[in-house]
Amino acid sequence: MAVVWCPDWPVVAWGIPLDEPAVVVVANRVIACSPAARAEGVSVGLRRRDAQGRCPDVAVLDRDVDRESRLFEPLAIALEALTPHVEIRGPGLLGFPTRGPSRFFGGDEAMADETLAVVLPVLANRGSCRVGVADGAFTARLAARSERAIDGPRIVDPGESAAFLAGLPIAELQSAQTPTADLIDVLGRLGLSTLGAFAALNPADVVGRFGQEGQIAHRLARGEDEHPPDLRRPAPDLAVTWAFEPAADRIDRCAFAAKALADELHASLSSNGLACVRVGIEAETESGEQHLRLWRHDGALSAAALAERARWQLDGWLHLTRMMRQSARERPETADLRGTAPGGSDGLRGTSPGGSNRHDDWTQEIPDDIGVGAGIARLTLIPDEVVPASGRQLGFWGGRAERADDVTRAVGRLQGLLGPEAVTVPEWRGGRGPGEQIALIPAAAVDLGEERVATARQWIDEPWPGSVPQPAPAMVLADPIPLTIIDAAGGVVGVTGRGEITANPARVSGLNGPTAQAIHRQAGSKRGSRSVTAWAGPWPADERWWDVMSHRRRARMQLTLDDGSAHLVVIEDGEWWLEATYD
Amino acid sequence: MVMAGVSVVDTEPRGLRERLDPEILAKLKPVTLSGEQVLDVPELLKPLFPWGGLQRGWSVGVEGCGGWSLSMAMLGEALGAEGWLAVVGVPSFNVAAAAGFGVRLDRMLVVEDPGPGRWATVIATLCESVDVVAFAPGMRVGVRDQRRLTARAREQGTVLVHLDGGATWPSAIDLTLSVNTLRWDGIGDGHGHLKRRLVSVSAAGRRTGAAGAPVEMWLPDARGALGAATSIEATVEPAIESTVETAVQSTVDPAASPRSAGARHTHSKTPASPTPVTW
Repeated sequence: MAVVWCPDWPVVAWGIPLDEPAVVVVANRVIACSPAARAEGVSVGLRRRDAQGRCPDVAVLDRDVDRESRLFEPLAIALEALTPHVEIRGPGLLGFPTRGPSRFFGGDEAMADETLAVVLPVLANRGSCRVGVADGAFTARLAARSERAIDGPRIVDPGESAAFLAGLPIAELQSAQTPTADLIDVLGRLGLSTLGAFAALNPADVVGRFGQEGQIAHRLARGEDEHPPDLRRPAPDLAVTWAFEPAADRIDRCAFAAKALADELHASLSSNGLACVRVGIEAETESGEQHLRLWRHDGALSAAALAERARWQLDGWLHLTRMMRQSARERPETADLRGTAPGGSDGLRGTSPGGSNRHDDWTQEIPDDIGVGAGIARLTLIPDEVVPASGRQLGFWGGRAERADDVTRAVGRLQGLLGPEAVTVPEWRGGRGPGEQIALIPAAAVDLGEERVATARQWIDEPWPGSVPQPAPAMVLADPIPLTIIDAAGGVVGVTGRGEITANPARVSGLNGPTAQAIHRQAGSKRGSRSVTAWAGPWPADERWWDVMSHRRRARMQLTLDDGSAHLVVIEDGEWWLEATYD
Repeated sequence: MVMAGVSVVDTEPRGLRERLDPEILAKLKPVTLSGEQVLDVPELLKPLFPWGGLQRGWSVGVEGCGGWSLSMAMLGEALGAEGWLAVVGVPSFNVAAAAGFGVRLDRMLVVEDPGPGRWATVIATLCESVDVVAFAPGMRVGVRDQRRLTARAREQGTVLVHLDGGATWPSAIDLTLSVNTLRWDGIGDGHGHLKRRLVSVSAAGRRTGAAGAPVEMWLPDARGALGAATSIEATVEPAIESTVETAVQSTVDPAASPRSAGARHTHSKTPASPTPVTW
């Protein structure tokens, strides 16, 4: 098995030159960074803020999986020059069985060199590429990731997989789909720090202790395939087909069909107790050409994942068609050349491994594969490899297990509607005034599924002398309302420089209603006068006197009025304002 | 595991049933009626709700002075540890006070300004993923928006809380809780500070039968949460409070042993709030 891996593919797909620092973030975590950013100390898993702190001029990009898969398709097409059995494992990673190509080129080394020679021109210095060859896909992938794969293909000789893996840390199991982080964590805490130590355990013991998941992890650590070799080839009638009438050349029509097909395929597989780990996506164009691409997933593919892969694949093909039309318009002489060799007449290129012609850029890649004007006439999903479905356990009491994901999706939609800053989440802050104790953070800047320390009251453990005593008012006015407070004789009440009130307050005018609703609705209107039944304060707060711009000198007072309402009023520069209401 | 469970049920269903906790049995019922899908409310508020709890899909309004605090107290219990709350278009809703009543800040979304035209769309979107949406539209709601939101909330089991008591809602809402403030404790004529408030809460609405008796409670009590009002506190105190403006008050207050034996006790137990510094 050979694995071709393009490091930092999410960044490469954005077309960022490798010498410019850039990161791709998902949920505020870096998932990929360019080599230039890595040189500045940015690493995968970092928070966006930390990454920007380490490398201030880094370009922060959102992940665009559609784009990643679309631009990965040319690599797969290029590799079809070597083998027809290219299987895409995800954007940036593909694999193919090596037996045929190795025999043809005369050994694994020559085949791997040829692979690089085919892929690198397609990448055209946009990104780098590594090749690993080993008995199994997992080992080959780790070989491609190893340091030695930077300079050239890393080849693990047949039967040497276990020895190669033995020295690697147990955390490398993460790159496979099945063993969860929990299992890897447990193994680490059991003292099994390397794959070799884990592989040395008795398989029966591992299965007894960790079940199926442990069994798969153990197989991987021993250098064997993820799946036992007795995979059943599914009956061909499980494949599902959609005929387009007329032929589709737009991705939205294709995506619609792909969704329906994926649902149908998934339903028929699960009614047979099967789950698909490798799906073939086959498209037939109007002119009768057939294109087949295999997609593999280490876990079983869900209906949504099937639909997604089909959509990616069709988008990749259609995108190439569009690009080729463009280049045909721009360079008529090339189009003439193509005209002499009608597209698709030689069928799938990959059937002749020797016929590898080098390509200088991405656009010249296309003409052999999808002819001009070729819409997709028929789409077929073929369950290429299936395993017994182990199913997925949902919450027994009907609970929604993925609530944070749900909420994150809703937040995403609202941000599309209202702008990225419109949806916020509250956090505690220190402060004296009632409105200063909570800060609203844009929801886009936090991971809603994670625990956030600043949402716990204990986050603020410093005392704030001079703060308004508990309980907190239920309503803090966004725009304070101006008030007039007078004493029994009709004189205006003030607060002296010593923080003492000049006269007992007797009446308040400027409030229009007893309840928060009334205040909320009629903020600003200056009618109504109420008598004061009780009052407390004033509590002066001379804040930030060291800073001219943000210096505020205020005194607060609590009042209850004859209608039963209670308010927090504040005086600043001799004027009273309604700051909050104890609604 | 599953196979084993099935075989047990098949062979001796009766024995298993007897061994099970009745509460679990109730949950095991395959069908839940809409009236049974209720969110818990604080024990004190239960008499006010026809099903003993906040029914999913309902519209609930709070009105009167103290209504916002009541909504916070209600939601603190109803949302629990996992429920999500969204507050839409109410920039003056004090999150700190809600936290005092047990609402979790890490399960809260705030949309301060949904914009004039998109108010209903925002709430409809939020209904799909949060449990409770609290809002107070600044203007009259159109009948179309109202129907759409009501249907969406029913379908998704989301509770809509009208912080304006449903005043801007074109039709009657399911339940309105009216709060009447009886008195504030702890504040005097230039001394003390607001500590607790005695309120009476009554419920009305098209979903309730005959209006029940108003329930009296401390909202908030000395801990800043919802507290039960004993009959002595509730009846004795007003007599003293009515004299608050007179000079007698200063003499009554230290000698108020009968009325606030309980109340004073509570005060002394709670940590004294930080005394404000004076200039």
